[in-house]
Amino acid sequence: MDNKTIETISYLARLKLDKDKKEKITKDLENIINFVAELQDIDTKDIAPLANPLEKVAPKREDSVTSKSRKEAFLSNSPESDKDYFMVPKVVE
Amino acid sequence: MSIKFKTLSQLKELLEKKELSSYELVSETFRNISSSKTNSFITLNEEAALNKARDFDEGKVDGDLAGIPIAQKDLFCTKNLRTTCGSKILENFIPPYDATVVDNLSKAGSICVGKTNMDEFAMGSSNETSYYGTVKNPWGLERVPGGSSGGSAAAVSEGLVCAATGTDTGGSIRQPAALCGITGIKPTYGRASRWGMIAFASSLDQAGTFARNAEDCALLLNHICSHDQKDSTSISDAQENYLDNINNDLKGKKIGIIKEFDISSLNREVQDSFEQSKQIYESLGVNFVEVSMPNIQLSVPTYYVVAPAECSSNLSRFDGVKYGYRADDVGNLEDLYIKSRSEGFGDEVKRRILIGTYVLSAGFYDAYYKKAQQSRRMIKNDFVEAFKNVDVIMSPSSPSSAFKIGSKTEDPIEMYLEDLFTISSNLAGVPAMSIPHGFANGLPIGLQLIGNYLEESKILNFAHQYQKNSDWHLKSPNLGESS
Repeated sequence: MDNKTIETISYLARLKLDKDKKEKITKDLENIINFVAELQDIDTKDIAPLANPLEKVAPKREDSVTSKSRKEAFLSNSPESDKDYFMVPKVVE
Repeated sequence: MSIKFKTLSQLKELLEKKELSSYELVSETFRNISSSKTNSFITLNEEAALNKARDFDEGKVDGDLAGIPIAQKDLFCTKNLRTTCGSKILENFIPPYDATVVDNLSKAGSICVGKTNMDEFAMGSSNETSYYGTVKNPWGLERVPGGSSGGSAAAVSEGLVCAATGTDTGGSIRQPAALCGITGIKPTYGRASRWGMIAFASSLDQAGTFARNAEDCALLLNHICSHDQKDSTSISDAQENYLDNINNDLKGKKIGIIKEFDISSLNREVQDSFEQSKQIYESLGVNFVEVSMPNIQLSVPTYYVVAPAECSSNLSRFDGVKYGYRADDVGNLEDLYIKSRSEGFGDEVKRRILIGTYVLSAGFYDAYYKKAQQSRRMIKNDFVEAFKNVDVIMSPSSPSSAFKIGSKTEDPIEMYLEDLFTISSNLAGVPAMSIPHGFANGLPIGLQLIGNYLEESKILNFAHQYQKNSDWHLKSPNLGESS
């Protein structure tokens, strides 16, 4: 796990690592990846991947309105909002 | 009268006979919490709890759990009550709705006294990753309570509440139950609704409960479990009354011992307790059979691909926009995401997000994620085969008793191996529980009982019969006070 890989995955995850912790985290990640690498040696021929233990298909329901608009309740948890929107820094230059 | 260490059923009886009012019970609970040294709670719900207790005393609340104070793990959304998930990023989050499990327990009449401490986003096995401080084990304050549901386990163990909810993604109910000397159960994946549970790894997360014995767990499970249209993985099969079969005779039943779990390398006392527990079951007419589960050794590495992958996806919702922590002094939107997440998440959460991002990224997906999903099926198939021959599977709940705070924080893999015995049940989705069955180094250890899909009743039956023939579950920690 080189510096470039760490930089790439940190950016993909939208995380920035503190300088003083970066070395330790890189080492930890390397150890964890080595630890899980034993999976690569197992014979998985003809084994279908299992994503969910129940293997159920999501149930369908009537396409009907089941709850009321609770705009105020949800906007009230936002760090910054006006009466209709979540506010963020300007996106278009 | 001291309410400490009373079981749910005992408190129920005291309330029914009017020997105790719910107001007295809830008030005393808050007094006990305020003098506790275990740091089990993050947020208290004092005013609302006392109001509901008063309502109960005035005959306005009914239900199976009416008037009984319980605690909720701080991972369940509670309407108008702060829910942090052990993280700085949700320090000020006040959910506008109740999780289904919370709603179910509330409708059964129970009273939520507060939200219990936990590892940040349930990622940890010692409660040391909580932003709100480490929880201390009531059996030794320099020891961890286990995790991630460490606050719930410690609160029940210390006698602050008779019951508390938990969630279990890789052992987060069973391991802390074992380390705190109490009973805890995780039902079949999908049996309890995940709606309103803050997601860590959606295909593994499952709600459950802690109590002082299996019978109380059965009563609680009757309400915690339900079919819920709001959770697309919720099971719709008919639900049993978990108390109905608890007294069944175990004569002629079969317990499987996993051949590949080498317990001879564990502490002598852990081995001895396991042997003694086998003898208890043998005296009840149970037969032991060795079962081979050749892929079970792959459980920990499989889990540490699947869980971080799902975590990296689930935790992408924390962006500083809709709710949660937002960093100051940001230039543009991307800065806002990066800075809010980097300042809001702790180290273990970052580690897992990064691992997940890595195993899901182009070029590595097939080598890690797909491979882990395939080995997950192989592990599940091992369980399916094993349960063709046995009623339940038995193992220790954790490799040792509670370790010292700080002793495993430097090496993540050493911490991950704490869940060696518990993780496979989450990967397969089968129900499992931990009951107290002895001591190692003067600290409690647990016995794990794993059941086949939807056979919660059966493991509860095995656990209850064990507890009728042993007294480990009656032991309580001595925190320097008479009780």
